[in-house]
Amino acid sequence: MFQNFFNALKNRGVNVSLSEWLTLQQALDEGLCESSLTRFYHVARSILVHSEADFDKYDLAFEDCFKSLKMETEVSAQMLRWLDKPDENAMLHEKDKEYLNSVESFEIDKDDVEKQFKQRLKDQDSEHNGGAYWIGTMGKTSFGNTGGNIGGIRVGGATGYQSAFQVIGARRYRDFRDDRVLTGRQFMTALRRLRQFSTKLDIPKTELDINSTVDRTCNNGGCLEIVMDRPRKNSVKLLLLMDSGGTMIPYCQLLNELFQSVHKSNHYREVKTYYFHNCIYSHVYNTPACENGDWTETEWMFRNLDKDFKVIIVGDAAMAPEELYARDGNYRGPNGGYSGQEWLLRLRRKYRRVVWMNPKMSPTPAPWREAETAIKEIFPMLPLTVAGLNAGMEILMQRQ
Amino acid sequence: MREEFRSTGEYVASEALMGSVNVAIALQKPLLIKGEPGTGKTMLAEAVAKSLGKKLLIWNIKSTTKAQDGLYMYDTIQRLYDGQFGEEGVDDIARYIKLGKLGEAFESEEQVVLLIDEIDKADLEFPNDLLWELDQMEFYIHETKRTVKAKHRPIVIITSNAEKELPDAFLRRCIFHYIEFPDAALMEEIVKVHFPDIEENLLKNAMEVFYWIRGIRDVRKKPSTSELIDWVNALQMGGIPTDTLKEKLPFLGVIVKKDEDLETVKHYV
Repeated sequence: MFQNFFNALKNRGVNVSLSEWLTLQQALDEGLCESSLTRFYHVARSILVHSEADFDKYDLAFEDCFKSLKMETEVSAQMLRWLDKPDENAMLHEKDKEYLNSVESFEIDKDDVEKQFKQRLKDQDSEHNGGAYWIGTMGKTSFGNTGGNIGGIRVGGATGYQSAFQVIGARRYRDFRDDRVLTGRQFMTALRRLRQFSTKLDIPKTELDINSTVDRTCNNGGCLEIVMDRPRKNSVKLLLLMDSGGTMIPYCQLLNELFQSVHKSNHYREVKTYYFHNCIYSHVYNTPACENGDWTETEWMFRNLDKDFKVIIVGDAAMAPEELYARDGNYRGPNGGYSGQEWLLRLRRKYRRVVWMNPKMSPTPAPWREAETAIKEIFPMLPLTVAGLNAGMEILMQRQ
Repeated sequence: MREEFRSTGEYVASEALMGSVNVAIALQKPLLIKGEPGTGKTMLAEAVAKSLGKKLLIWNIKSTTKAQDGLYMYDTIQRLYDGQFGEEGVDDIARYIKLGKLGEAFESEEQVVLLIDEIDKADLEFPNDLLWELDQMEFYIHETKRTVKAKHRPIVIITSNAEKELPDAFLRRCIFHYIEFPDAALMEEIVKVHFPDIEENLLKNAMEVFYWIRGIRDVRKKPSTSELIDWVNALQMGGIPTDTLKEKLPFLGVIVKKDEDLETVKHYV
């Protein structure tokens, strides 16, 4: 049963196996779905999908197969574009909703609204904002979005009022998709690759070496002789330099996750974190606030953190050309006699392994992003995604 | 008539969650529950046990827990001691076999609910080591050559905070449910279950502040259901005037646990 649903799931990238499929058939046989599509949706999801990251794919596959059953309406991409007006939404909330609702308040009949909605979907062929008939924004029909009418069908857009009957195409689980965002877990898994075991460290011998102990004891005529050894420790030292503020503000949650992951995976020999604004100059900041005064001299960092530190720089490499090339290009602090580019080159000369992780790197060569292109010449630059981070860790672990 | 789980007096479950529990019971498969901390994953098992009138066994997983711990333990040290002092019954190994929680659930005379709490805390391989036991509901004690077989298949509920990915083979055998963060309506219901005669005004204001704090982007540890409940409790006991909650933010430490978050919240007031 539902062979095409199985295929649709596969197509959408949900990893379904035959055994789960048979379990679903068993559930159907036992009547667990009670002949209801909604029940079927939940039952099948609980059996076939094992991670909230796949819920979105499941939703899409489900829609592919059962769309015609759900409602005979399909909101075209074109229409969703007409309705995409987030700014107006916020504005309207404050200003007009009371007015609009006082003008026309009546009991809404759900079926009636739905019927009208379908009719308009069929007829509408252009964008409408602020009317009383078509599906559009800022209007007062019972459908569309950013309208003042409470309790109708909302088409796309962010949830303003909670009271819309149905949210068509909202894709509630989109945020869980793992190809979209990096989570702390993924950071930690990637960071785990930074491992280099070594027993040649100058730390005390604290671990019991069982084999040698047995060996020596036997040689000693059965009289116990204990041998201690140094524990196997990760010898990787990590220097994390993060761009903070300005154009990086949208990514602060992401950087936060990265920071947490680095500090949670406490298997490094040493971890140092500093912050910078746009580019690295004579000082690196101790906190993400990047306040002048609360900083460390970059020279001091060079002197005290030796060349074995593996350096991860996180930044969007978005800056004006003079911030990179001019010797007075640092508009919020001292330059220290060098341009940003020269500081970066000094950093490269000092440390053996450096990667630049960029949360919004252009997927193709982008000569119009001048600074990004220039920095790519200095350091290997990778996008801050799961794949990018893994590749970056590999570069950091390469032997000289 | 099939046994069915319903919301109890103390636990409000969404329709979808009840559905998943009942599917798991009907198909006799373990139910894997994921969700934000504080959304009542552990409490679900209690509620299921209570609603079905069954005994609840809890196996708390720690980072050092091994799969074997849940089956049985052979207390060799005790036997060695006993042997040295010539205690009676040293030759009877069965005396030194102690069943773990899973073993206990199998041996129980009636069906029980078994909660394997926070399975992701354990080693990465841990779930794989339990595949056979959870599938076949039996295991073999080498020392006494005895097979422990479940007299009644326990209802197994497993919770995970997603700290580690669980292995695929394990996931395929489970019914999966993700507890979503409750929306305002469900949250109101949940709070009312805990405080049946809460003042409407207090509830309304507290919820408003709660969702406001959750909405602040920079708050690292978002407060969850259990924190809201603690806060409402504190507010009630403290007899705080309800209309100034948002300005004064009394007992803020109950919902916001991190220093930097406290700063952030105060900043936004």
